[in-house]
Amino acid sequence: MGKKMLNFEEQCKIVNLLKSSSEQKSIEETLTEFFTNPKLRHFNVCYSLSLLLQDKMMLSSTERLVAFAILHRSYSSQKSAANPFISFLVNAACDEGAENYERAFILHLLGFGNSNSSKEFLKQSASEYIKKFDPSSQTFPQKEQLQKQYLEKAHPEPYACLLKSTAVKNVLADPDVPPGCDANSAEFDLEPGAKSKLGSGDRDEALSGLIANLSLEGLIPHWIRPLPPRFPVDEELVWLNPDNNHELQWDQGMCADTSRGAAVRDLIAKALRGPLAPNQQEQVLMELANDPKLVYHCGLTPRKLPELVESNPLIAVDVLIKLINSPEIAEYFTVLVNMDMSLHSMEVVNRLTTAVELPKEFVRTYITNCISSCENIKDKYMQNRLVRLVCVFLQSLIRNRIIDVKDLFIEVQAFCIEFSRIREAAGLFRLLKTLE
Amino acid sequence: MDLRDSSPSSTPNRDGNAGDDDGVLSVTSALAKDAALYFQSRKFAECVDVLNQLNSKKENDPKVLHNIAIAEFFRDGCSDPKKLLEVLNNVKKRSEELALASGEQVESGSNIGNNITSGSKGSGTTTSLPASNCASIIYADEFVSSVASLNIAVIWFYLHEYAKALSVLEHVYQNIEPIDETTALHICLLLLDVLLACRDASKSADVLNYMEKAFGVGNVSQGENGNTASQQSLNVVGKSSSDPNSSLISDVSCSDLAASVNASESPLSRTLSEDPLDEMFSTLDIGGQNLARHTGLTSANDLPRITVDRSISGVDLKLKLQLYKVRLLLLTRNVKLAKREVKHAMNIARGRDSSMALFLKAQLEYARGNHRKAIKLLMASSNRTDAAMSSMFNNNLGCIYYQLGKYHTSAVFFSKALSNCSSLQKEKPLKLLTFSQDKSLLITYNCGLQYLACGKPLLAAHCFQKASLVFYKRPLMWLRLAECCLMAVEKGLVKGSWAPSDRSEVRVSVIGKGRWRRLLIENGTTRNRHVDSVERDVWALGDDGQPKLSLPLARQCLYNALHLLNCSELSNSKSILPSDSSLEENELSDGASSKNSNYKNLPSNDSKASTMPAALINLNGDLKEPKGGTNQEGIQTFISYYEDICRRENQMIKQALLANLAYVELELENPLKALSAARALLELPGCSRIYVFLGHVYLAEALCLLNKPKEAAEHLSIYLSGESNIELPFGLEDCEQWRVKKHIDCEEANVGAAAAKNSSPEGLEDFMFLKPDEARGTLYANLAAVSAIQGDLERAHHFVTQALSLVPDSSEATMTAIYVDLMLGKSQEAVSKLKHCSHVRFLPSNQQFNKSS
Repeated sequence: MGKKMLNFEEQCKIVNLLKSSSEQKSIEETLTEFFTNPKLRHFNVCYSLSLLLQDKMMLSSTERLVAFAILHRSYSSQKSAANPFISFLVNAACDEGAENYERAFILHLLGFGNSNSSKEFLKQSASEYIKKFDPSSQTFPQKEQLQKQYLEKAHPEPYACLLKSTAVKNVLADPDVPPGCDANSAEFDLEPGAKSKLGSGDRDEALSGLIANLSLEGLIPHWIRPLPPRFPVDEELVWLNPDNNHELQWDQGMCADTSRGAAVRDLIAKALRGPLAPNQQEQVLMELANDPKLVYHCGLTPRKLPELVESNPLIAVDVLIKLINSPEIAEYFTVLVNMDMSLHSMEVVNRLTTAVELPKEFVRTYITNCISSCENIKDKYMQNRLVRLVCVFLQSLIRNRIIDVKDLFIEVQAFCIEFSRIREAAGLFRLLKTLE
Repeated sequence: MDLRDSSPSSTPNRDGNAGDDDGVLSVTSALAKDAALYFQSRKFAECVDVLNQLNSKKENDPKVLHNIAIAEFFRDGCSDPKKLLEVLNNVKKRSEELALASGEQVESGSNIGNNITSGSKGSGTTTSLPASNCASIIYADEFVSSVASLNIAVIWFYLHEYAKALSVLEHVYQNIEPIDETTALHICLLLLDVLLACRDASKSADVLNYMEKAFGVGNVSQGENGNTASQQSLNVVGKSSSDPNSSLISDVSCSDLAASVNASESPLSRTLSEDPLDEMFSTLDIGGQNLARHTGLTSANDLPRITVDRSISGVDLKLKLQLYKVRLLLLTRNVKLAKREVKHAMNIARGRDSSMALFLKAQLEYARGNHRKAIKLLMASSNRTDAAMSSMFNNNLGCIYYQLGKYHTSAVFFSKALSNCSSLQKEKPLKLLTFSQDKSLLITYNCGLQYLACGKPLLAAHCFQKASLVFYKRPLMWLRLAECCLMAVEKGLVKGSWAPSDRSEVRVSVIGKGRWRRLLIENGTTRNRHVDSVERDVWALGDDGQPKLSLPLARQCLYNALHLLNCSELSNSKSILPSDSSLEENELSDGASSKNSNYKNLPSNDSKASTMPAALINLNGDLKEPKGGTNQEGIQTFISYYEDICRRENQMIKQALLANLAYVELELENPLKALSAARALLELPGCSRIYVFLGHVYLAEALCLLNKPKEAAEHLSIYLSGESNIELPFGLEDCEQWRVKKHIDCEEANVGAAAAKNSSPEGLEDFMFLKPDEARGTLYANLAAVSAIQGDLERAHHFVTQALSLVPDSSEATMTAIYVDLMLGKSQEAVSKLKHCSHVRFLPSNQQFNKSS
């Protein structure tokens, strides 16, 4: 149910007010009596009355006058523009279809024309006012004039929702009278004591029913707001499959003897400082082969690799091959490529190229380093030696298709030309030519 | 947990029993051996006793503490996994501290030289033991307890905390090479299960691929793998352990090579022979190494783990991996390949417990819509005396009947499955597996879906709230909860909301009699649907301890879902970015390809890129698989295909979320928020036409509420063709997704077609959305409302007339029509419309007038 505009007390108040209007009480008296209740919600009362007034038939002429008086009096302490019903009053005063006495009464209320008008006219009762009304005594101003006088100073309308401010009255007249009859005719009024006939009804009953049911909300255009569809169930249902069993594991490393690993670690540590004896070397390689994981625990770190390469290149090769899947292998390669050029490092790289696939960049960088080392070496004898080694190394790489000559063609060719006095360089050059 | 004491002789394990070397068994290792034996024979109390003795000798040794925790856990009947978790985490922390400390010591010790026997902290108490000088050297990596990590992950896995398990495992997996075979195998298997549970297809494929290589089960589909594995390992052994001769030169792994060295005795070797090492280069100048290199390459790169102490036999492992592969294929919805692989799995499984294979096969048929076949397979597999199995069996049947639209039947099976679960929980003694076999939360989720389909939002919400313990990270779960709220509000089940009849009805009070009769239209303005919007605490609990369903709760759920969705999008883009940059790195740096990813043997990024177009072409899943099944490119193709599916699904979810959010905000009278949600919805790429329609309708209403009727009208006008004709906003084909899929089994297509026609499914109500024509009527009605507000009553009249012809039952359209009539001064027509509208209820006024219309 919608919100009711009036509480029970207010409803009674209005019904009584309307009833008393037909009595010979002065309007002023009626008003004073009405406003004695401080708890009255003026707006709700006035709004209800305005709705009733909009229904031309519902209220009697005296009731209408009293209702208009209330609408005016409720906000009379403020400027007229502040009265929320001022435009309603102005419109009613200009309604050509309305009775002249009613329009004159509203103009009186508004104090139109005679600004110092006393409230004398309120001293009489509503019916007296109507009886004494002299149509000739009253001129009716234009609507524009009234609007100018009473509405102009009105505040700009406060924010209101357009949807709601466009509401219309939600009460519809639906007279239930036999077809062809005039619903306005008084013949359908229920006469006390008379037998009710078709189409008759009691106005008071309807009035109090309306008063009881009026709501603040008018009728507005309605918006269709479709409920979004439920999301389709596609793969959402959970299908269950048997689980794999994962048991908790016993740590077998507990108190394990690490002596075997220790021996290798010992030997590796030795191998960093100088060549191992053949049988020692054999032992290292064998143990590494027996335990594929041992290599991760032999105490070698990338930092120590150069020492191992220089002292025991074969062990270095073996270790690096075993570490090829280790996450650290890149670090090892970086160290290897950056260490000083030597016979042993070249040996290690060469052996690696034949055993595993090395990153292309690594091989390239290594070759570039080789060549620049050859160029930079001062000692002629050492230079010759190194150049010959590099040449043999390169030939091997080329023949084994470890490198693509195209990648390094210019570099290697320049190298060969620079050292063309050396037999091996000339050989390498010839090899390049055949590949061209 | 296998500890085969018979095998150590054949297993030269670093961690193995090395007593034969020393000839003296140290006290501790003897105790350790005893403890292991007790553990193996499941005498946990005795095991704990021995371990405690050990602990008094090696105080605070993390490994001892670890094993104590494990043994005590079993001794106490697996009752408190959380406590075990706590202990294990402490053990792990302690190990890491020790590792750090000893790492420093080793670094410094190596400078001192040979003096590495100084002993590390961890072995401080072992000095009294014989042979400890040498044996107690413990290196940093000795402390890294992969077993503890594995066990932690196992517990998380069993507690369904997959994300936590994953983070532990991923860390271990990154450095899996040094880990011993048995543990590594367990780690990989668990990681696969966790990844599949997390529905991470890409990583699953990586791990599977790694396992096939590392554990020598590669090319599973090519016959007996044991042979290939042993061959490969032979290669490795042959290569690396060939007896090194005293002469360095002759350390060549291949006899061909050696021969060719001799043959090609080059002058260089003679000239350089001053230095014996130079002689090596004589071996360089030879061809014919290709062969050697190739064998070397395959063996070294694919370095198979020589599974020394395998707790799983070769065929078992093969079957396992095959089943993982099937699961991966099912996850990625690659039905075709899955079918082939599952057949293969069935072949391997012959004579073994094949329930898993049968369930997977049933799932496959279920995914293909062959529901009858799926049921048959389930029937064949189920060992229904086992509570765990029967709960899965019943759950899966429930899924099948749900898909068949028989919600009430599915409800029966789901509740059976749940009662199986509760009987499982009562089983004694507890096993660790019991925790994971308790799938009640997963089944509860299914129940929730089923209740939602049956229109029981309160029960459904109850289920989703329970299941949220597991599903809280899934956006879809939150969307479902929001849907429960909306449905509850819609059905008037929420305190203060309109009963469903009230929502769609126009209530008219009839006041007075005879010529004084007046009609008072009651719900004159927008029905004030929202309830308790002032209630601050969205999660306010009701009497039953469950959050009360409400629109604010719906909104909260939708925000949660959006947040989760955005997070996953963000993390996806994150994971893509680094891999892109690493691609560049790869080109610039020394090409340390193994550094690029945590995942071994990841197909390099460029190969991924190159398979992308192929994946797009093959969107219909019609993959042309090369022989062998899972070569890298094939895997990449179907994974990117799957990722594409996921992306589209997430897009769909996002559309639904934003549409629901806009709706909820409108209901809660927050037009500004509704506006932004609707805008976001319309900005989504590839938005479906239904959601585009909703987006426009919600956006227009929000604009209207914000006093912008002109803009609102513009949004609705996009559906206008010409002055005043509205097109269908979407077609029937757009609704396809929302229809109940009535799969007819392929095999039964001929027989079943007739039967399917006249069998009306229980779920006709399942398509709960407007039909295209009704959507058109909605647009007409709303355009009429906008026009009326703008004061264009003629236009409003035209539109509302159209609307009423399309949606004659709509009370909203009727009300707008009445409004327009009243504004046009046609009160007689308004009254007659009111009287002719089927959704009007005439009520006698409060005064007891005996009047009805």
